[in-house]
Amino acid sequence: MSDQEVFKERAHGPVTRPGDLPAHDAHGHDHAHDDAHAGHGGIGKYLLVFLALCALTTMSFLTYSPLWPWRSEPQVGWAFMMAVSCTKAMLVVLFFMHVFWEANWKYVLTIPAAMMAIFLAIMLVPDVGMRNRMVSQERALHMARGSDVKLLEHAAEAKLPKEQAGH
Amino acid sequence: MSAPAISLPHGHDSHDGHGHHGHVTLQYQPGLPLSRGKLIMWLFLSTEIMFFAALLGSYIVLRFGAAVWPKPHHVHLSEPIGAFNTFVLICSSVTVVLALEAARANKAGLAKLWMLLTLLLGMLFLGVKAYEYQAKFSHGIYPAAPRGLVYEKPDLYYGSAVRARLGEPAIIDRLKELDDTPVERLTSEQAAARSRLQQVRAMVASPEQQAFDLAVVADQVMPLPTEGADGGHGGHANGLNDVFPWLRLPVVIPGGNMWASTYFLLTGFHAIHVLVGLIVFAILLLYRLDRSQAGKIENAGLYWHFVDLVWIFLFPLLYLF
Repeated sequence: MSDQEVFKERAHGPVTRPGDLPAHDAHGHDHAHDDAHAGHGGIGKYLLVFLALCALTTMSFLTYSPLWPWRSEPQVGWAFMMAVSCTKAMLVVLFFMHVFWEANWKYVLTIPAAMMAIFLAIMLVPDVGMRNRMVSQERALHMARGSDVKLLEHAAEAKLPKEQAGH
Repeated sequence: MSAPAISLPHGHDSHDGHGHHGHVTLQYQPGLPLSRGKLIMWLFLSTEIMFFAALLGSYIVLRFGAAVWPKPHHVHLSEPIGAFNTFVLICSSVTVVLALEAARANKAGLAKLWMLLTLLLGMLFLGVKAYEYQAKFSHGIYPAAPRGLVYEKPDLYYGSAVRARLGEPAIIDRLKELDDTPVERLTSEQAAARSRLQQVRAMVASPEQQAFDLAVVADQVMPLPTEGADGGHGGHANGLNDVFPWLRLPVVIPGGNMWASTYFLLTGFHAIHVLVGLIVFAILLLYRLDRSQAGKIENAGLYWHFVDLVWIFLFPLLYLF
């Protein structure tokens, strides 16, 4: 494949040549299809991505090890794990889902969907995320609070009267 | 007519029965340079992105908006099991990619082998998931009210629920049986738990009961594992509910009910997606997976990678946060 052709492939993706109905794909003999996929993939590349994914998964556990310096600030660990997850997601989308080699149509589908997804999550914040800012007294009485966790922790330290007597 | 400038699609109706008259050829330019099947799959996946974004977004917003959220160990989540399942799904993503490559190279046997491996890995994932669900159910954590044993705080409602459970005829019989059992026939753990249970029964029934007593009761029934106690996992083994599984006393997990709702909704919808993927793979296995089926394998693979993608976010959000 000459450079010119490679450029064309990258610019237009797996082109269905004029006259080729997309429906022809199902019947094999789709040369355009074969050509388009000859340039990428390769089992070595997939195994590399696989190893990277495994390494990233173990990296999420780094936040649990004693080596992790920000144990008192969980937010740092959360941000780190989300970064790791996004990297893994990008690897899967780009290489396993072949998006890296696809034509520009990929942006038409993924960008609006991603934007809608982000808006959707943001729009949940006022009603759902801030629901505990103003609650009725009745609800405040019945919902769990940080003080309940403290109470249970104290209870775990305290022993039953008989156990105390035994010691 | 020489040098046809326009070509009609071969399957066009106007050709039928008209012999040579159909040599007019039209140039056909598809709207997007990809097959119909793949286009539909990507459109479907973009709706799936929004579907899971809504679920994950509500989870995050609920979690960070909550006054208390249980730690993973409070709800008996095991990180190694979750990590193992992550590994299984990543492996299955690789095998489905390899199946596609084999099919494109027209190696039908190899493609079928990889596809079968994908199916088995997917089943392994669901098996591990079922085991995890069982661990939740056995601790009384259910997504809905009638079977769930989770109370938010050790208040009067919790105390009366414990009393009600201890007053059920079947439990009264079992308790009597336990009280009458000679100490020699109990293990040392059971004997100790029996004396703790007797004290708990007295505390719950006591008219001078105080808020702290109920917290002690909750801690005896199912202690919340403390942070950092050798992986944080050993703590809850000697709770009364664990020593006497028939007891099934109500437990206190602050924030546990909202946690259960989101956990079962997220992992449940994900498991349904895995199940659908497995059905698709099972159907594909009926075919000879040569080059002509590569398009189908690619579309099934796209779906499967998306399911993997969702788990990549679910795993840290549920198990590690």
